[in-house]
Amino acid sequence: MRLADAWALLPGLAVLERNAERELRQLDALACWSGQFTSEVSLVPPAALLLEVAGSLRLFGGLDALLARVAAGCAAQGHAATFAVAPTPLAALWLAEERPGSRCLAPESLREMAAGLSLETLALPPAAQARAAAFGVRTLGDLLRLPRAGLARRLGAEVVVMLARGLGEVADPRPRFAFPDTFAERLELPARVQDAERLLFAAQRLLQVCCGWLAARAAGVRELTLEMEHELYARQQASVLELRFAAPTRDAGRIARVLREHLGKLALVAPVIALRLLADRVEALPGRACGLFGDAGEGEGIAMLVERLQARLGNDAVHGLTAQPAHRPECASLPVSPGAGSEATAAGVRPCWLLPQPEALAEIGGRPQRGGPLDLLSGPERIESGWWDGGEPGALGDVRRDYFVALSPRQEWLWIFRSAQGWFLHGLFS
Amino acid sequence: MSAQAAPASGQPGLADVLARSDVWRGDALAQAPLPGVPTGFGELDTELPGGGWPRGGLVELLPERRGIGEMALLMPALALISAEELAWVVCVAPPLPPYAPAWAAAGVSLSRLLVTRAAGGDAAWACARALDADGVGALVAWLPAADATTLRRLQLLAEKSRTLIFLFRPAAAAQESSPAPLRIALAASRAAAGRLSLNLLKRRGGARAMPLELDLARPAPLPSVSHVVAGTAPTAAPARSLSQPAAA
Repeated sequence: MRLADAWALLPGLAVLERNAERELRQLDALACWSGQFTSEVSLVPPAALLLEVAGSLRLFGGLDALLARVAAGCAAQGHAATFAVAPTPLAALWLAEERPGSRCLAPESLREMAAGLSLETLALPPAAQARAAAFGVRTLGDLLRLPRAGLARRLGAEVVVMLARGLGEVADPRPRFAFPDTFAERLELPARVQDAERLLFAAQRLLQVCCGWLAARAAGVRELTLEMEHELYARQQASVLELRFAAPTRDAGRIARVLREHLGKLALVAPVIALRLLADRVEALPGRACGLFGDAGEGEGIAMLVERLQARLGNDAVHGLTAQPAHRPECASLPVSPGAGSEATAAGVRPCWLLPQPEALAEIGGRPQRGGPLDLLSGPERIESGWWDGGEPGALGDVRRDYFVALSPRQEWLWIFRSAQGWFLHGLFS
Repeated sequence: MSAQAAPASGQPGLADVLARSDVWRGDALAQAPLPGVPTGFGELDTELPGGGWPRGGLVELLPERRGIGEMALLMPALALISAEELAWVVCVAPPLPPYAPAWAAAGVSLSRLLVTRAAGGDAAWACARALDADGVGALVAWLPAADATTLRRLQLLAEKSRTLIFLFRPAAAAQESSPAPLRIALAASRAAAGRLSLNLLKRRGGARAMPLELDLARPAPLPSVSHVVAGTAPTAAPARSLSQPAAA
């Protein structure tokens, strides 16, 4: 149909130029994504991908499960894809084009299954196709019934070689798709987006591609960068979002959860027209070991929890604790990254809570007061240390204190000390 | 047809209904759906449905003030979760920085302790995320401003998890209604110094009229007669300057 005819039928028709370069980029992205199913991926431009899946069937729980995942993944990325499974790459391409969804698993049944394919599907050279039609060949079956030597003379040797490759009589080596060393994928949004949370849906497409690429490389990321390109008139640099993870990961769901927390906090300076996802530093991440009883590996749930909390509350607000073998009480407890805590030998009785700053206590008649006179129950424990860091800014400095366990009239158990400056409350047993 | 005959198909009999874990008779403690975590105090265990701190529900603790022993009450259970079950202990919005040596001495494994500072709605959100996560054995949260809706949401999440959940709320909240199946008001004992008095405001199986008094692990023995003599303040050696403790 000519364009003028189409416009006559549908005046509101929007016509877009076909962009072969972008199609190729999309195919590359899809190849990256399919790296999670097999490492043997090859491109057949303009619109086909070949995956060698025989080696992956057991891992993914059979052909049905694998195909379901491939179909769901393609749909989630906005591709309308057709599939076929065949013992040779060429036969798979033929079947996918003419009979989507067909499966031919046994090499011996391939000939029979391919017999009904029409000649157009084979994509013969135009001259060869016209000649074949002239001598009454309509289907592949017709072609296969003729002697090969005669075919080679009448249609050309390459047609015979192609038939042999399609039927698996001759090897059909394909160039492997080379997975890129670093990941940088750009996605143009169909419409400008002003609300950061709505970017999540588009970003998930990029995450799927990225995670497939990571799976193909048996790697994970600790850091991902999401760049948001703004509209040109806004004259803004692209906004950059850095995602960090407690441990290397390639779990798209986990990354998306962290991303959602970040996007929830983000206020966009201008509408966004495109997203770019960058991963330039990857770390080796071998496949996950399943628990004996089908449960998730230990610690993974906590790592995800820590990431989500840190994404919303800030990295400093979520931490573990470690006990240090230090005499000065302030130095004996330090926040560390979760899971890195370790116990040191306990010095004496220590309170459950330590005030960030010692709190001065009044003294009446030689006894410290807090809602009345305090009873000193044990002590003194003299702590005298730290002369070496007295001059440094922010350092605790020299400390010379006598610590007591005290009970207030209101039955609060306190940890107090006496120094040259007087009495101070330093902690609460509780 | 006798009175003991099997009920019509599809209609559970009275005995079946009574055997459910969320139904209990007024004169007995309820059966807990999951066995409780031993509290470390035998007298308390016998008073709690399930024989310990219940899993799958909020435990609301209402201390009259800080420092009376509210954490000493929890520490045996937290140590058990941390050391025996190898699960994580998560603290959400603690009122003061937890002091690592004391928690370690109480038996909590510091390699499985997570502390989260959060304020207001973020604290409740952090609790909800911790309840979602695998591997969290106990959650200790301070939610002074939580409203009934928040508590209801947390209770619904708690019912789906096996995590032990302690919520600290101010004593004034005892007057408000709460969806937590176990609520305990904590106060220093009036009768004997150094003991903790537990008032079981709400539990499955009916409230307990009399407060329960417990002897907790305390950092120092109570004096029988006199105070320890404090002695004199430590004096600075002449060669060194003494820094300001308040600037520590």
